[in-house]
Amino acid sequence: MTTEATTGGVRARRRVLSGWLGRLDLLRESPIGMVGAGIVLFWCLTAIFAPLISPYDPNMNHFDAGVALPPSPGHWLGTDDQARDILSRIIWGSRIVLTIAPFATFCAYVVGCIIGLLAGYYRGWVDTFLMQVCNVILSFPVLVLYIIIMIKFGPSALNIIVAVTFIASPQVARLVRSQTLELREREYVAAAKMRGEPAWYIMLVEILPNARGPLIVDACLRTGYTAITIGTLGFLGVGLRPPDPDWGGMVRDTYGFLLGGQIHMALAPAIALSSLVVGFSLLADGVREISLRD
Amino acid sequence: MTRNLKEIHSYLPTLATQLAEGKVSRREFLRTSTLLGLSAASAYAMVGLPDQGIASKAYAATGGTVRMSMRVQPIESPHTYSWIQDSMMSRNVIEYLTLTGSDNVTRPWLCEKWEASDDLKVWTLHLRQDVKWSNGEPFVADHVIWNIKRCLDPAVGSSVLGLMKGYMMNDAGDALWDANAVEKVDDHTVRLNARAAQLAVPEHFFHYPFPMMHPSSEGKFPGIGSIGTGWAEIVEYELGKKCVVKKKPGYWHGDGALDSVEYIDHGDDPAAAVAALTSGQVDGIWQVEATQLAAVRKLSHVTLYEATTAQTAVARMQPIHDTWKDPRVRKAMRLAIDTPKVLQVAYLGLGEPAEHHHVAPVHPEYAKLPFMAQDIEGAKKLLADAGLPNGFETELFCNADQDWEPRAANAMAEMWKQIGVNVKVTVLPGAQYWEIWDKETAPFAFTTWTHRPLGVMVLGLAYRTGVPWNESKWSNAKFDELLSQAEGTLDVEKRREVVEEIEILMQEEGPIVQPLWRSVFAAMDKKVQGFQAHPTQYVFPWDWSLA
Amino acid sequence: MVSFFAKRFGALILTMLIVSFLVFITFEFSPGDVARNALGPFATEVQLEKYRQEFGLNRPFMARYLSWLGVAPNHKGEISGLLQGNFGYSTLWKTQVNTFVWDRILNTALLAGVAFAVIAPLSIILGVAAGMREGSLLDRVVSVLSAITTSIPEFAMGAFLVTIFVVGFRILPGTAPLETGGGGWSIASQLVLPVATLTAYYLGYLVRMVRASMVEVMTRPYIRTAVLKGLTFRGVVMKHAIRNALITPFTAILLQLNFLFTSVVVVETVFGFPGFGRMLVEAALYKDVLTVETATLFAVFVVVITQVIGDLSYMLLNPRIRFS
Repeated sequence: MTTEATTGGVRARRRVLSGWLGRLDLLRESPIGMVGAGIVLFWCLTAIFAPLISPYDPNMNHFDAGVALPPSPGHWLGTDDQARDILSRIIWGSRIVLTIAPFATFCAYVVGCIIGLLAGYYRGWVDTFLMQVCNVILSFPVLVLYIIIMIKFGPSALNIIVAVTFIASPQVARLVRSQTLELREREYVAAAKMRGEPAWYIMLVEILPNARGPLIVDACLRTGYTAITIGTLGFLGVGLRPPDPDWGGMVRDTYGFLLGGQIHMALAPAIALSSLVVGFSLLADGVREISLRD
Repeated sequence: MTRNLKEIHSYLPTLATQLAEGKVSRREFLRTSTLLGLSAASAYAMVGLPDQGIASKAYAATGGTVRMSMRVQPIESPHTYSWIQDSMMSRNVIEYLTLTGSDNVTRPWLCEKWEASDDLKVWTLHLRQDVKWSNGEPFVADHVIWNIKRCLDPAVGSSVLGLMKGYMMNDAGDALWDANAVEKVDDHTVRLNARAAQLAVPEHFFHYPFPMMHPSSEGKFPGIGSIGTGWAEIVEYELGKKCVVKKKPGYWHGDGALDSVEYIDHGDDPAAAVAALTSGQVDGIWQVEATQLAAVRKLSHVTLYEATTAQTAVARMQPIHDTWKDPRVRKAMRLAIDTPKVLQVAYLGLGEPAEHHHVAPVHPEYAKLPFMAQDIEGAKKLLADAGLPNGFETELFCNADQDWEPRAANAMAEMWKQIGVNVKVTVLPGAQYWEIWDKETAPFAFTTWTHRPLGVMVLGLAYRTGVPWNESKWSNAKFDELLSQAEGTLDVEKRREVVEEIEILMQEEGPIVQPLWRSVFAAMDKKVQGFQAHPTQYVFPWDWSLA
Repeated sequence: MVSFFAKRFGALILTMLIVSFLVFITFEFSPGDVARNALGPFATEVQLEKYRQEFGLNRPFMARYLSWLGVAPNHKGEISGLLQGNFGYSTLWKTQVNTFVWDRILNTALLAGVAFAVIAPLSIILGVAAGMREGSLLDRVVSVLSAITTSIPEFAMGAFLVTIFVVGFRILPGTAPLETGGGGWSIASQLVLPVATLTAYYLGYLVRMVRASMVEVMTRPYIRTAVLKGLTFRGVVMKHAIRNALITPFTAILLQLNFLFTSVVVVETVFGFPGFGRMLVEAALYKDVLTVETATLFAVFVVVITQVIGDLSYMLLNPRIRFS
C-alpha cells in the first residue's frame, strides 16, 4: 500500500467523522429535529440514570399504599394492579426499550448494510441472489414471522433482537442497495478504484458514509417502530415476560382497569412509549429537512 | 322420618342426629345426605332451607334470547373434551346423569335417584322414566350402559377413565374389572358393581366429558342435528364465530323460558368480551378474569357473580430428583411463602390463602389446621439441616395461559430468594406447558387444578402412588393408606379426622407448594334471571328467563 | 412486457414454494407435539399414537410436505393437496381449512377496504395541504399531529378509543363480531372503531409520506417554470404537483402491504373481529401448521401481487422508466 493511499484513508475517515458531527451541529437549524432530539435524549438519560432517579424497586409491591392507587404524593403516577409504583416501572422500562430497540436496529443495519453493499456493488448474480432472498423474507407477513420466531426460540430480549434483525435487515438491504447502485457511479469511487483500493474499502469508506443521509433518517424511524413492535408482541402474549417492566405489557395488563375508569395505569406507559416514538420520528424529520437543504 | 331415612341409606339417621347435635354443618349434611340418595328437596327441608341449588321453574316471563361471549370451538367428541369450555354448548343438548348445583351439592338429573350399599361398592341408579331423546325414543338403561362402557374404553381416551379407573377397571386398567361391573337391572335401572369403595360416584357422573349420548351417534357430536335429551337443539354453528341453540318443546324438566341462547366468539382477549358486555352486544360472560373485574363492576346494567371454589395451582416438586429428595427442602419451600401476599399479588386477594395440602375450605372434609404462615428463619434452618445452608438454584416451569399464574410464580420466586433459593421462572405457552406438566423433565412446575366437590377426589387423582395424573411422582405409603381409609369413610366427622392426618402429612412431607384458592366470577345482565355462578363455571340456560 | 410478467410470475411461484417450505420446516422443528395439542393435556400415549396414524403424522417430513403440496400421495394413498385445491386439515378447528378460511379473508378484506377508503383521500388532502408550503403553520401542525398518531401503538389506541366511545359516551359497540342482534348495533357501527384505529395509525404514516414527496416535487424546476409561466399557485398544485407527488407514496404503500397486516392482526384481536389475522395468530400459537401455511401463502400471494402492481404502476406513472 502506498503512502498516498494511507493518507487518503485517514482523510476519508476524518471526513466521515467531521461529517457526522457537522450533521448534529446542523440539527440546531431544525426546530422539529431539536424537539425530537430533546425527547430522545430525555429518555436516554432516564434509562442511564434509572437506578438513581427511580423512587422504588420496579417490582416491589407497596401493599401499604394500596392497589391501583391514583397519582398521589408518595407515588407520583400511582400504583398498578399489583401495587407496584408506576413511575419506577416506567423509568426502568425505558432501559428495556432503549436497550432492545436501538440494539436490534443496529444489528439489522450491520446485516442489511453488508447485504445491500454487496448486492449494489457487485450487481449481477450476487445482486439477483441476495435480493431474491430478501424478497422472500419481505413477502412474509411480518407478524407471523415474529410469532414463529418467538414461539420457536422463546420470548426473551435476545430473541426479539434476533427477530428484528432477521425481519428488518432485508428492508435495510434494499435501501442500502439502491443508494449503492447510485453512488458506485460517482467519480470518487472511480478514483478509489484507480488507486487500487480493495472492494471492502470502497464499500465501507467511500460508498457507505455518503449514503448516510437516508440511512440515518430510516434508522431513527426504525428504532421508533421497533419500540412499538416490542409492545405489540407483548400485547399479543409473545413478548417479554413479566415481572420486568415492559411498556407494552403494562398497557395490556391494565386494559381491564382502563375500561373500569382507572385510566392512569394504562395511560402512563402508553404516553411514555408514544413520546419516545414521536421523538424518534421528529428527529428523523429534522435530519431529513437538513439533508434536503444541502 | 328416621325409618324412611334408614331405608334410603343405613347411615342417614346417624347423619340426621349429627345435624341435630350441631356436629356437622348444614352444608355437610346436604352434601352427604344427597350423596347417599336423599333427594335434595328433602335434604334442604331437613336443614330448614329452601332448595336454591336449582332455580325454581316459576318464570316471570318466557321468550327472548340471551347472548353469551364464548369461544366457539370444535365440539365434535364430547367424551374426550379436555376443557370445561368445550362442554358449554353441548350441555344444552346432551345431558348428564347427575347435576352438581352452584351450591356444590350433587343431585340426580337424568336419573331419578340413586342408592349406595353400606360399603359404598354397589351403586344403583334409577333412571327417570319420562326422558325422551329428540328422535322420540325413550331414554333407557342400555343407553347409559353404552355411554359408561364407551368412556371406560381406553381406546376412546376419555378422562372419565382416570376418575373411575380405581374402582371400575382391572389392575392393568385396560378392561372392566368384572364382566358384571356395569349391570342392567331393568330398562330403567343400572347398577355399578365396583371393586373398591367410592364415595364420589354421583360427582363422577357430572364430569364434563360424561354426557349421555345416543348410541347411534357413535360418540360424535356434529352439533346441528345431534340427538339429545336436553332442553334445546343447536340450530347454527359457525366455528370461531357463533353458535345458536333454540328451545325445543316437550323437555322432560319443563320447557325452558328462553327461546334461544347465542354464543358469540370474541377471541382470546378477555377485554374484548368485557367491551362487548359494556355495549350490550352480549348479556353475559361465563368467566370474568380478575384483571377485568374493575371494568365489570362499573357496569350498572350487569350483576357480577362470585363463586368460592377449590380452583388452585400447585408448585409441585418431584422427589425423584436429587433437588427435591429431602422432605426438609420441600417443607422449607412451603415455609418461605407468604400465601396471603401471593394471593394479593396474583389474584387481587380474591379467594383464600391455601395451606399446601390441596384440601379446600369448601370441601366438606376440610380440617382446619393452625395456619401455616411464612417462616423464613424456620425455612433457612430446614435448608441448613438438609445440608444446603446457602440455598440452591432451580427452575420453575409455569403456564402462560392465565395471567395470574406467572404472577403467582414470580411472587413466590421473590419469596424463595429470601431463603437463598434462586428460582428461575420459565413461562411457557399453554400448549407447550401441557406437554411437560406431568413429565420428569420438569422437576419443578406450577400446575392449575380445577374445582372438585370433594377433597378426596383431588387427592386421589393427583397424589396417590402411580396414578396417571400424579404429576409430582410422589409416592408415600402412609398417604396412600390414609387416603383409601378416607375414601371409604362416609361419616364426615370421621373422614375429617383422617383427612387432618393427611393434611399434616402433606404440610410436612408433601410434594407441593400451594399458594392460593381462587374465586371465580361470571357476569350477567340484570335482566337475565335464574343465573347462578357455579364453582366449575358451568352455565345452565334452561333455568334462565328474561325479566 | 410479456417477459416482465413471466418473470414476476416465476418469482411468485418460487417465493411461495420457498415460504411454504420454510413454514413447514419451522413448525416441524419447533417445540410442541401436534397430537398433544389436538387432544389436550390428558390424552394417553395410545390416543396420541392413534391420532398420529389417522393424520399420517408419523411419516417422514418430506413425504408430508410433498403430499400437502399435492405432488405425492398422502398416507391414505390419495393425491390431494394444494395443487388440487385442498388446503389440508386444521388441527385447531378440527375441520378442512377450506371450510373457514375464505370467510375470514372476506371479513378482513371488508375491514381493510373500508379503512383504505377512509385513509386514502384523507391522507392525500392533508399531505398535499401540508407539503405545498413547507414550513407553514399548517405544515407544522399536520406534521406534528401525524407524527403523534403514528406513534401510538394500535393496541393502546384501540383500548383508549373503546374507553372513550364505548365506556364513556356509550355511542359505539365495543366489539365487531359482525353479528347484529346484541344491543342492536349495525355492522357499520361495529366497523367504526376498528377502522378508526387503523386510520389513526396509517393516516399519520401516509400523510408524512405524501407531504415529503410533495415538498420534494415543489422544489422541482418544472414547478418553478409553471409558476413563472404565470399559472396560479392553486393551478400549479392541482395540475402539476399532485400527480407527480403521489407516485412515490402510492407505490410505497403497495410495497408495504405486509406491514399493514400486523396492524390488522392487532385490531382484530382488540375488537374480537372474526378475521384472517386473528385466525392466523391463533393458528400459529396453536401450531396448526396447515392453517398457517394456507394463510401465509395467501398473504404472500397478495403481497407479491401488490408489489407487481406497485412496480407496474410506478413504470406507467413515471414515463422516465421503461420496461427493461
